[in-house]
Amino acid sequence: MRAYVEFAKKAFQINIAYRADYIAGVINAVVMIFVNISIWKAIYEDEQAVDGVQFKMLITYIVLSFLMQCIYGMDEYFIEYKVRSGSIGLDLLKPISFSGYVFSYNVGILVFRVVMQLIPAMIVSIFLFKMYPPFSWSMAAFFLLSAILGYFVLYNLNFLVWVSSFWFYWTFSLVTIKDAAVMILSGALLPLWFMPQALVDFINLTPFASIYYVPISIYLGQVPMEEIALTLAKQLIWAVGLFVAGRLLWRSAIKKLVVQGG
Amino acid sequence: MPLIEVKNLVKDYKLNVRKKGLLGSIQSLLVPEYEMKRAVDNISFSIEKGEMVGFIGPNGAGKSTTVKMLTGILVPTSGTISIGGLSPHKDRKRNAMRLGVVFGQRTQLWWDLPVIDTFELLKYIYKIPEETYKNNINMFNDLLEINEFMSQPVRQLSLGQRMRADIAAALLHDPEIIFFDEPTIGLDVIAKEKVREFIKYINKEKGTTMLFTTHDMQDIEKTCKRMIIIDEGTTIYDGTVEHIKESFGTSRILVVDFAENVDDFTMPGVEVVDRKDRKLWLKFHKDEVQISNLVYELTQKYGIVDFTVQEPEIEAIIREIYQGGIKLDESLCRVC
Repeated sequence: MRAYVEFAKKAFQINIAYRADYIAGVINAVVMIFVNISIWKAIYEDEQAVDGVQFKMLITYIVLSFLMQCIYGMDEYFIEYKVRSGSIGLDLLKPISFSGYVFSYNVGILVFRVVMQLIPAMIVSIFLFKMYPPFSWSMAAFFLLSAILGYFVLYNLNFLVWVSSFWFYWTFSLVTIKDAAVMILSGALLPLWFMPQALVDFINLTPFASIYYVPISIYLGQVPMEEIALTLAKQLIWAVGLFVAGRLLWRSAIKKLVVQGG
Repeated sequence: MPLIEVKNLVKDYKLNVRKKGLLGSIQSLLVPEYEMKRAVDNISFSIEKGEMVGFIGPNGAGKSTTVKMLTGILVPTSGTISIGGLSPHKDRKRNAMRLGVVFGQRTQLWWDLPVIDTFELLKYIYKIPEETYKNNINMFNDLLEINEFMSQPVRQLSLGQRMRADIAAALLHDPEIIFFDEPTIGLDVIAKEKVREFIKYINKEKGTTMLFTTHDMQDIEKTCKRMIIIDEGTTIYDGTVEHIKESFGTSRILVVDFAENVDDFTMPGVEVVDRKDRKLWLKFHKDEVQISNLVYELTQKYGIVDFTVQEPEIEAIIREIYQGGIKLDESLCRVC
């Protein structure tokens, strides 16, 4: 167990070494929020509400979405690089679980981003964009729980894409398609409120909504108290389901592994 | 019971056959063609605890593939491997706990971090007790002088330093079995000697079982008693290094520096393999031609300035085996 904590620490340590990248990350988050808010401002003009959605509520949604995107960033090519260079062989020589290693590495990145990027970006956002506070204290706690589940859903979804590099060797296109799907279907860019009902019905059948839309809706108090348990359970089921799929894919990946070079 | 037991090991690779040219590439994209290549073809051997075995063969013979199957990274197509009763790919993690692997061409150190950081990490990965860890670090300091560069990032190390650090990293958890995959590749003579000395020392002191893949015959001659030669996926020799030298090292080369020009030299059983000015390289088999007779006859016929006798080195023997010059007798192999 201690080894995995050390992996996370090493990931943190490596990330902190790239200082310019860190500062750029914070600036990027703030700029992205600013640009998106400007676009929405143009859409709303002087209206107080469009489709019954208040402007300030939308601002809060956008800010939260981008802050979450900022910390949900993972190393998309970590496994692909190891597969292509063959260094995965060295990792498999160690008495550790490879998926556990990948996960703790990403947790290291997550902690780095929460501490070094989320906190500064959040402080700037609260003052600059005047977002709403959480609907209530209990909703804030549920939001946190839901956001963690959202991370697991995204992580396990990503893991499936990453492991596919055992077959494809290059996953750039696949990662790009996955990113686009997540951006649109999870409501990261455009809240699901504005989407046609048919599309929303479809999205509800996929894991995407669990990533961004559900946690943010809870924050905004749009999920009634009596539905919270069900909503969280749904997220949990997706996280577990994708995790199991990842395990299965991983197992067949190991079977087909052909270590490159050497 | 032997520590490592390999029985009828076979590994097939599926290769994607690409066609030539632009049209060919498009065709390959639409209708991929595959071809099976047998990298390891029915290999069997067993290694006892504490043995030090050289595992050699030309490039592409199937050495690395076999080593990878022993470590559990590759899954065999058929056949069984047992390492102390465990199947490497089924019990990968437990097997890994008892293994140490050194790759000459690859580092397992963390590239951006100081050497000591990798060591610390390995301490947690292998759950090495603090005392063992400290003792081993001290031992490596004495024998490999790794303390000179302990706090430098790995990417700044020279190849010799990196290799020493890599060996130390692989031995940190006192593994029962160590695989060396070309551990001296690219090192200078002194560094090579140091690595060999260290390997011998560890084998003697800790009784570690070692399997050595290399192209440097000196490595084998100086460290191993036993040697397994494989070619085209099959074992062609399994026996002592001495034996192969005795059996195939019967040819001698007499280098003679004549006082005059000798153009038409002929003698039964003696072959002129090279010449340069007045110097001739004469090859003969020591069982067929007596060296004393040869020298006697030469001195009777010609004036001789100087001469030396050369014994073949293991390297030359192996080269001949690879090229098919020497046919190995079935009876020679312990496990053919």
